[in-house]
Amino acid sequence: MTAPAPVDEARQEGRNADRPAPSAMLRTGLQRYAILIVFAALIVGFGIALPGTFLSVGDLSNILGSQAVLFILVMAVLLPTVVGDFVDLSLGSSLGLSAMTLAVLNVQHGWPVLLACVAGIVAAMVVGLVNVFFVVFFDNDPFIVTLGTMTIVQGVIYIVSGSNSVGIVSTGLSNWIFGNDFLSIPLEFYYGLAIFLVVWYVLSFTPTGQRALVIGQSREVARLSGVRVNRQRAWAYIIGAAIAGVAGIAYAGTNGTVDPTAGSTLILPAYAAVFLGATAIKPGRINPLGALIAVYFLATGTAGLELLGAQTYFQQIFYGAALVASITIPKVTRDRFLKRRRPA
Amino acid sequence: MSPTDSETPGSPDKGIGLRESPAPGGQAAPPALEVRGISKDFGSNRALDNVDLRIADGEVLGLLGQNGSGKSTLVKVLAGVYDPEPGGRLFVGGAEIALPLGAGQASQIGLSFVYQNLALAPGLSVLENLTLGQRIGGGRLSSWRPINWIAERRNAAAVLDRYDVKLNLDRLTGQLVPVDQARLAIVRAAEDLRRYRTRSGYKHSVLVLDEPTVFLPEEEVDRLFDLIRTVVAEGAAVLFISHDLTAVRAITDRVVVLRDGRVVGEELTPDIREEELVDLIVGAQARAGQGTPAETAPVEDQQAVALTLAAMESVGDTTGAGENVAVGHLTGEWLRDLSFEIGAGEILGAAGLIGSGAEELPYLLFGARPVGSGTLCLGAETMDVGVLSPQRCVRERIALVPADRAAQGLSQSLTLWENIIMLVEDEHYRGGVFHRGELVALAREAIDRFLIRPPRARNAMSTFSGGNQQKALLAKWLLARPRLLLLHEPTQGVDVGARRDIYRFVKSAADLHHMAVLWVTTEFGELAEVCDRVIVITQGRHTGTLEGEELTEEAISAAALRQTRDGEDR
Repeated sequence: MTAPAPVDEARQEGRNADRPAPSAMLRTGLQRYAILIVFAALIVGFGIALPGTFLSVGDLSNILGSQAVLFILVMAVLLPTVVGDFVDLSLGSSLGLSAMTLAVLNVQHGWPVLLACVAGIVAAMVVGLVNVFFVVFFDNDPFIVTLGTMTIVQGVIYIVSGSNSVGIVSTGLSNWIFGNDFLSIPLEFYYGLAIFLVVWYVLSFTPTGQRALVIGQSREVARLSGVRVNRQRAWAYIIGAAIAGVAGIAYAGTNGTVDPTAGSTLILPAYAAVFLGATAIKPGRINPLGALIAVYFLATGTAGLELLGAQTYFQQIFYGAALVASITIPKVTRDRFLKRRRPA
Repeated sequence: MSPTDSETPGSPDKGIGLRESPAPGGQAAPPALEVRGISKDFGSNRALDNVDLRIADGEVLGLLGQNGSGKSTLVKVLAGVYDPEPGGRLFVGGAEIALPLGAGQASQIGLSFVYQNLALAPGLSVLENLTLGQRIGGGRLSSWRPINWIAERRNAAAVLDRYDVKLNLDRLTGQLVPVDQARLAIVRAAEDLRRYRTRSGYKHSVLVLDEPTVFLPEEEVDRLFDLIRTVVAEGAAVLFISHDLTAVRAITDRVVVLRDGRVVGEELTPDIREEELVDLIVGAQARAGQGTPAETAPVEDQQAVALTLAAMESVGDTTGAGENVAVGHLTGEWLRDLSFEIGAGEILGAAGLIGSGAEELPYLLFGARPVGSGTLCLGAETMDVGVLSPQRCVRERIALVPADRAAQGLSQSLTLWENIIMLVEDEHYRGGVFHRGELVALAREAIDRFLIRPPRARNAMSTFSGGNQQKALLAKWLLARPRLLLLHEPTQGVDVGARRDIYRFVKSAADLHHMAVLWVTTEFGELAEVCDRVIVITQGRHTGTLEGEELTEEAISAAALRQTRDGEDR
């Protein structure tokens, strides 16, 4: 046969084309690991500026431990976000509700702490169910619905607590969450790590996770590919709420007392971490590993700034600036990338 | 108002005023609109070839032609969207206007357009939609001048009254029935023209209606026609673009037929029979060899065929006998009581113009629209279309390749490999681990065999060309080994080479896997080439079946055009 030659050639060419140009690989690699590079630079920078304090074990354990509640909440926030429901504002209040339920039942009503913990998680899941009912079943805008449920839950917390802080939750709980440590890192960090591993496994290594990704990227494609879109969205809300409940328990254990405003200050940093994480590892996708890195990137930055003597409120400026920069910088590089390719 | 004639230096005739009833070639007054020698090329493809056209004041001119005949290209030239090739000339009311037109210039020379999608804001009220154009588009009113809603309301009511259209000004436009939405859009455009005439003192103005009746139920079309007659009586000329012969015959004074970018006929409407019109549009005799697109030539590139066969083998066992498909009494939003069968290994085409209901067919059978009723028999199984869901259909191995591949078929932000393996990923999840490597390998094989270029499995879907996206979409569904393959416009926006590949893939799927295939498209030449049999759908009903010798593009077009509004289905 003489005919096949051109096609073979074309296929050969195709094979070669399979490997992107080194410059392109460098660019995508840069984008993928940009946050890690900046993270490393941050650590080195603070290490030089603060010799002895910043790189100490104590500070590492401080950073890892102090952010555990936020880290767990980030995993909760991640789930609805992955399936394309970009905002579940009520998760912060769910955290607060769970913590307050635990505190009130345990402290004021004398429930055993374990049972009170379960009750707290169930309370958070009820909020998730309400969200599912109004967002998924009635097909409403999640931003508006969860803005409503967030406000309602916040009100419920004030009623239950009588607008007062409730303390002190059982010291047993505190010990099992915050007091005891392993490798001098508080146990709650490992709880967060365990939840992270489960979320990461489900999202990255199961068809369920892959389907969640398709739903998040293009809901109509998922529907026409036979995916049970609404069922999966519902589970994302409910499990997300349950994880927020766990975060509430971690909060109660860490702080000992539960403030009625618990959680409301955490929800925005949690979203900052999720969206910042979406620019790393798998750029453009909400992914748990990126979120993990982002949480501790932000924590390291603020811890370093604090050690340098900056006031706590600089934390917020750092969070906000990192978030805006993280979504803008990839755009700049991508546009340049496109422009360079156009003549080809 | 000064009916000045100073703008007509180039006009050969001096006659002023004297608005006659429309007459073809009536030289008494300068035509409201005249184009001479307009051409437009897209690459090597000539979409418009030296088109001449004139519309007299007070005339309704029908512009007819098949898909791709150049109708919409001409409209876009008039609207200033496309720049025509040099050499064309445009006269409005006898005065020459330099081509190409700038964006928005059309409205300044007395042209107004109503497109199929009407360009109404559905969330705003009738009143707001009526005043919107002056506020936003016109730019004549300052953005900061306060709106006197009482006066606006009075004016809007007067406008509606002038055209004898009764609408509640406070209703949301989206809640109006389709014909009222169309009427509102036309009133708005006609009012723009009237204001233009008053302001400028010119008498000419042209309302261009691009396929306004496509989505209207037949009994409501008359109300639209009444409005068009009112608009004409007010003094505007109307260019009525349609493929709906009945509508054209009912409303126009004169028709111009375009085919392959050329004017092939110009007749007074009362003087031409429907059969003659169909022949003109389709070009029954004219196109024997010439004009047939290159891709319809049989290409038997050995290697390509071998690759296709390999692609099909990779898709699964070829031992299955295939199953017959029978659809019974299918009814949807547009379709009425449609019944047909597809044999195992048969490619059945469904031909119908836009609005005929054919475009609804694949989605109903896939359970993607919740409005259907009827039955679908697949092999030994009978399913109720009313309760079908996409999940059920995927389980039953029914495949849908939707026309809107960007929004419905493929996830643009995911990678190529993730899109291709979307339906088979469950088979590669064992022992609690997603065998990603296997999936990527599977996708790479499919990329190789379905000739997807560039073969970069990890590139985002959005970076691929239309043809390659379509091949990926086909690969995605064929990997799921469907028993019934539903295709809607599978070659839309696809280059010639990819089109040929897609034909081959589908043909070998039918031959090798005895897959039943339903191919729905408005490109009738394609149906003539790939299908074993074609059913024709007009007005939602099954009005004809073509096979064997009769299966030509011309015959399909003629059958699809010959829609009889009040006719019975046979």
